[in-house]
Amino acid sequence: MPNFVQETAKLSTGTVTYLKGGSGPAILHLHSALGPRVSPALEALAARHTIYIPTLPGFNGTAAHDGMTTMKDLAGVAAAFVEKAIGKNCDVVAESFGGWVAMWLAVSRPDLVDQLVLEAPGGMRTKGVGGLPPDPAERDRKIHAIAERMPKDARYAEVLPGNFKAAAGFSGGETLDAELLKLLPSIKARTLLLFGTRDEVTPADDVGRRLKAGIPSAHLSYIYNAAHAVEFDQPERVARLVGAFLERGEAFVVRTADVA
Amino acid sequence: MKFSYFHLMPWTGLDEAPGQWPASNRSFDPARGKELYDSYIDTMAFAESCGFDWVGCNEHHFSPYGLMANCNLVGSVLAHKTKSIKLAMLGNLIPLLNPIRVAEEYAMIDVMSGGRLVAGLIRGVPHEYIAYNIVPGESRERLREATALIIKAWTEPEPFGWEGEFYQFPSVSIWPKPMQKPHPQILMSASNEESAEFAGQHRAMMGMTLIADLKIAQRCINVYRDTARAHGKETTPDDILIGQNTMIAESDEEAKELLAGGLNYFHKVLMHSIRDAMRLVVQKSRFFAQEQYGERFVNRLATLNARSIDEMIEAGSVLCGSPKTVIKQMKRIQGELGNGRFNMNMKIGNIPDAAVRRSMELFRDEVLPEAAGM
Repeated sequence: MPNFVQETAKLSTGTVTYLKGGSGPAILHLHSALGPRVSPALEALAARHTIYIPTLPGFNGTAAHDGMTTMKDLAGVAAAFVEKAIGKNCDVVAESFGGWVAMWLAVSRPDLVDQLVLEAPGGMRTKGVGGLPPDPAERDRKIHAIAERMPKDARYAEVLPGNFKAAAGFSGGETLDAELLKLLPSIKARTLLLFGTRDEVTPADDVGRRLKAGIPSAHLSYIYNAAHAVEFDQPERVARLVGAFLERGEAFVVRTADVA
Repeated sequence: MKFSYFHLMPWTGLDEAPGQWPASNRSFDPARGKELYDSYIDTMAFAESCGFDWVGCNEHHFSPYGLMANCNLVGSVLAHKTKSIKLAMLGNLIPLLNPIRVAEEYAMIDVMSGGRLVAGLIRGVPHEYIAYNIVPGESRERLREATALIIKAWTEPEPFGWEGEFYQFPSVSIWPKPMQKPHPQILMSASNEESAEFAGQHRAMMGMTLIADLKIAQRCINVYRDTARAHGKETTPDDILIGQNTMIAESDEEAKELLAGGLNYFHKVLMHSIRDAMRLVVQKSRFFAQEQYGERFVNRLATLNARSIDEMIEAGSVLCGSPKTVIKQMKRIQGELGNGRFNMNMKIGNIPDAAVRRSMELFRDEVLPEAAGM
């Protein structure tokens, strides 16, 4: 199993800590509002990719960056991180809140994004549809369909309130980013949209269909028996599909002998 | 009360039972096969003019028990030979098949028939898993995943991919889509408590056949109703289909004699090779999650096989007699089970086609006028 090590990148707006692991072509992984987590899916992908998981400013107790207050600003931080830490354009895999950042990155810096994987991304949800309940136990059930696959990291619970607060600060409490919605047709990257068949947080028939209609080269795929956190609920399926998509491009729909 | 006319399309005329499963096809005569298909399909189309609400087809493999290896082929013929009767595919054995192909074929039948499909998503009986070489212990989870995928294929407005445990389809967009919206009515088997719970979870209609004991049947129906309610569906009698071997004749005696003859051929010839294969799968695999359901399944078949016609009538396993007698039997079963539909199989074993037609006519002329108001 590849080892992930923590490193830092000094950007013009502040310092970003990140996890780096694996070997091969680079993947920028943008985390959800829960904060950075190395999922079993990422561990599997790291066998053939170098994965960079930056902690977005303000998450996991890290310092905010000066003047960085909006989702668009976070995309600017992500772009600077790619240039500084990775040094060239790369594939982007992003989950939930991170997917929102990734879409802004693909819109504002298309030169940095080769292929895009959006796992139940935020920012495209009709108000009143889906979302997270306030009760922690109920919230966990909405995020993870398979309880025994939830990460056991004790620090996770400790940083969670701060991470939710940071996410709310950047999103301004909005669920549907009208400005970004208008810009979706400008996304040039080939995009894979992943939704769990049991996702009630960002239901695919609301968010997935909106994105499929908006992004020109989007491909919508369902991960069977997964809720919101597809990387944890079904890591093998996600790694298999994302790996095929990133490595084979549009030919990922053509079955090969090594695909079970 | 609503009625379905069901057909197994049995192979008749065998002098002796096939020795072992799968039944040797050495004696299959294609010319006679053509005659049987013609006759059976005409009879099924005739059900429409007899006032049946549905005509039912089913899928079986590797045996003279039934000639419908793919009931959708028969369904497509019936779509053209009938005008208003619902076409109940009861149904495709989903875990054995490619679910996308099922979604496509069912959608074709629905469109060709003008929205008359009832879509049976059925797990099937145990021995069919030998025929198509599918692990019996995977049957339930395959059915669960395939059902979700089929519904998605019917309802998703844009192309999509599916990454599942048993099925991976990177790019799906079926043509045609079904005529009925959001999708055709789904029926699932509920012949044991495990299946009843499954049907309830899916908010499907339920079907039950081979009843050996009305109390056990009632228990399954209660499980179905309770589970469906817990999943947001308040069931009605229309959701409950009770399958019955049925013979209606001018007199009780004549009906019993006909049914006894047909069942003799059914059990001794058609079921002979199947029985051992079923037992093998039940005992040597996890087809039933709980062992007790496997034992009950085997015992139920043995019980039915050993009973006299009168015992079967008493147990609620068959409808048999004159029109007046059959109406009484129906009322009793309805009173016990609360079903709103009967699924009537009249071509049992080698009962002559003329007797089957007469049974249908008596249903039309003397049973339906009173029973429809039940």
